[in-house]
Amino acid sequence: MLVLGTSSGAGKTTVCAMMCRYLKREGIDVAPFKGSNLSLNSIATKDGGEIGIGQAFQAWAAGIEPETDMNPVLLKPSGKGVIQLVLNGKPHSDITKDNPMDYAMALQEVKKAYDRMESRHQTLLCEGSGSPVELNRMDVDIANIGLLRVTGVPAIIVGDIERGGVFAAIYGTWRLIPEELRPQIKGFVINRFRGEGSILKPALEKIESMTGMKCLGVLRYEYLRFPEEDSLSSSEGKLEGDDVHSAFLANLDEMIDHAVEDGFDFDGLKKIAGL
Amino acid sequence: MEKIAKKVNEEIERGWIGSDHSCPYHPSHFKGQDCSFCYCPFFPCNDTTFGWELEGRHGPVWNCSDCLFIHRTPVVKFIYSEIERLGIKDAKDPRLDGILKDAKAKFWKKGRALMVVGATSDAGKSVTVAAICRILHNRGYLVAPFKSQNMSLNSKVTRHGAEIAMIQVLQAKAAGITNPDAHMNPILLKPKGDTVSQVMVCGKPFKDYDVEGYYNEFVPGPGIEIVKEHVEFLKDRYDCVVMEGAGSPAEINIYDKDIANMRAARIADANVILVVNVEWGGSFAYALGTVELIPEEDRKRIKGIILNNVRGDTSKMKSGTDELERLTGIPVLGIIPHADVVLPSEDSEALRGVRKKGDGKSLIGVIKFPRMANFTDLDPLFLEDVSTVFVEKVEDLDGVDAIVMPGTKNTVSDYLWMEKNGIADAIRGLWKKIPIVGICGGYQMMGKTMDDSNGIENGVSAVYEGLGFFDNTTKFGEYSKQIIQNEGKLAVGDCGEITGYELHMGISEVNEKPLVMLDRFRSDPQPEGSVREDELTFGTYQHGIFDKPAFRKYFLSFVKHDGKPIQTEIGKDYDEILEENLEALAKVFEDNMDVEKLLDIAGVRE
Repeated sequence: MLVLGTSSGAGKTTVCAMMCRYLKREGIDVAPFKGSNLSLNSIATKDGGEIGIGQAFQAWAAGIEPETDMNPVLLKPSGKGVIQLVLNGKPHSDITKDNPMDYAMALQEVKKAYDRMESRHQTLLCEGSGSPVELNRMDVDIANIGLLRVTGVPAIIVGDIERGGVFAAIYGTWRLIPEELRPQIKGFVINRFRGEGSILKPALEKIESMTGMKCLGVLRYEYLRFPEEDSLSSSEGKLEGDDVHSAFLANLDEMIDHAVEDGFDFDGLKKIAGL
Repeated sequence: MEKIAKKVNEEIERGWIGSDHSCPYHPSHFKGQDCSFCYCPFFPCNDTTFGWELEGRHGPVWNCSDCLFIHRTPVVKFIYSEIERLGIKDAKDPRLDGILKDAKAKFWKKGRALMVVGATSDAGKSVTVAAICRILHNRGYLVAPFKSQNMSLNSKVTRHGAEIAMIQVLQAKAAGITNPDAHMNPILLKPKGDTVSQVMVCGKPFKDYDVEGYYNEFVPGPGIEIVKEHVEFLKDRYDCVVMEGAGSPAEINIYDKDIANMRAARIADANVILVVNVEWGGSFAYALGTVELIPEEDRKRIKGIILNNVRGDTSKMKSGTDELERLTGIPVLGIIPHADVVLPSEDSEALRGVRKKGDGKSLIGVIKFPRMANFTDLDPLFLEDVSTVFVEKVEDLDGVDAIVMPGTKNTVSDYLWMEKNGIADAIRGLWKKIPIVGICGGYQMMGKTMDDSNGIENGVSAVYEGLGFFDNTTKFGEYSKQIIQNEGKLAVGDCGEITGYELHMGISEVNEKPLVMLDRFRSDPQPEGSVREDELTFGTYQHGIFDKPAFRKYFLSFVKHDGKPIQTEIGKDYDEILEENLEALAKVFEDNMDVEKLLDIAGVRE
């Protein structure tokens, strides 16, 4: 399953990690995947590669070791309009205005990594990148539209309610996804909500009926944030305790408990993921 | 009346003068106003388009202090030409009535309204309204900003003693308006507790509502009427009312109860421009989704889209905006790059958790009270070699060179917050070592005691000990609020000019040397504030006291960084700086948008 976001910082990384953790607790062999990452925060994997830190956290949430195939394309801005392309964990080339990325090649590598991951695990939880419907660059999109197209993976959309306009954002995102891919978008999640949940109900039902997507649930405002991938969001991570790993997992468990209490539709999630 | 007639006779004899820049009150209404008729030849015209009857001490009085018609140059020139044609020499000549009638028929028409809504909070609505106000003002139109409903952490006081949001004051400045008015911001919500808000209408307490009461009783009842009344008032006087929405207009769960967005546009018969912040991504989805979720009858009002805050090459967006135009049928009016301008802080900064601001060497700790208010007071400090850090816990005070305790909506609760988390003790520890200034609520806390025997502040009857830096006592007597605009001079330092405004509950009995002398509209200057220079301790009720250079320079002269005094170089009024930046902001918009189309949508052209 692919988790798309209505914007940067919509909460894709967190939601993916939570879902990885949930499925792992259900005894499912799940692994994270992100086709393409634009990030300066990366870590070295044991198999000697470099991937975005978000996928490492998600791997820990899934109870497995981070590996290169979880993030085949890593784009590291090195300043002055130059971006270093890390392909399959290894520095590949510098992307500049005159030397753009070979999109077809990159997407092919992503597909191969996806296939390798899929053959090794029961299910993959993929994270999209930014918004999938930046109309001016949808044709060179890898992690969102690209992945939907080459893998046929089912997807959900995560929208951040904190800054307002979340219904417009979710509906608009769905609406701008190419028509032939739209049937793959099965559901949506509202993230970072504060207040009385019942107030949203009529709007959620309206979006469901307009799009045919199912609302999996409304996640409450949580201060759990990851070391950020993209420079846009401020990091408010509150990972307390000496053992960062166990504190992080405990935080995720707490988040899952809250989600269950609030009636988050984990069964619906499993159904979308084909489990 | 005799006095007015005499003045009018002089004006008739003198003839047309245009703007009078030599007048100390210029511009008393708006930039570019015609001053020929400082006294109106038609007074009292009894035309309710221009004024209304007020109950005075000696019976009814005609109040037309808000009339702008007599200050429009084409109107004034017409009046003079008629006066000459008819050979009128005297203010009491009955033929003047006919001239007013003709002038009204020829030149007066109802203004138009234009509304700016945002796909999200923080979309850039406020600055877009400010930019449009300035663009229209620069083309000679009379423009007023408007926001029907506001819940603002930063507010200012109007000439008439009403409280309105800081941002509408800034927009009015962009429009060249000298005295922003409560009509521009008629409904103000003041949170009183977690669920109840006090609703203020035109600066006066109206009634308290909880969320349900507000949406189910206030909005469909008086709310709609209030919006209508004040938009109409402004439309009678201005060529264009530029309205600002709130949050997203497409919150479909509360669509029918929202009077800040499309409903207000409908009431005002306004065309609408949708602004989307591009910075976070997903802007096309936000734009399309917002347009399509708005019911059709209102959607028709959306006449343009602005993509705001683009970092990098705006031309890269073009293929996307073409597609967006095709899908929505609405033109993209502009792709606006990120504008690097100095404007007052926005409420959202506090909510977003901005911690540090500015890049100056010396560090000023600003106590971030949970109910902090009017933190725009600090903005002028960033003109100097200063940066600020918000202090939320004791460690945040590490390394600060001075402390500012800003205003708060609830002095007692926020003082108790500060006592509990140790910040109060930490401040006591720094007392006399580094300069400390308290403004409004922060000033009240610096006194000996805070007397809340009536439970106004904290709900329970109690008297609290304050920080004890000043020998002052603040009493929260009955529920009443001081709302005053002030001008005056420092009572210390170089005795330079200051301006300020007061917005507070509670009255202080002060037994200290005053910091300022307030002399506006007063025969005897009134001392205000407290100062103990040898103890580096300063306090005042005056919000905005850093705006003029005098107090900024005075206070910073006590601040040392690494043992060295800091430079204060900018001798400018913050007001002048804002003026320059509003012009720069308008330029960024103008250079990147279709201004002709904007003028069409605003409906200001004949």
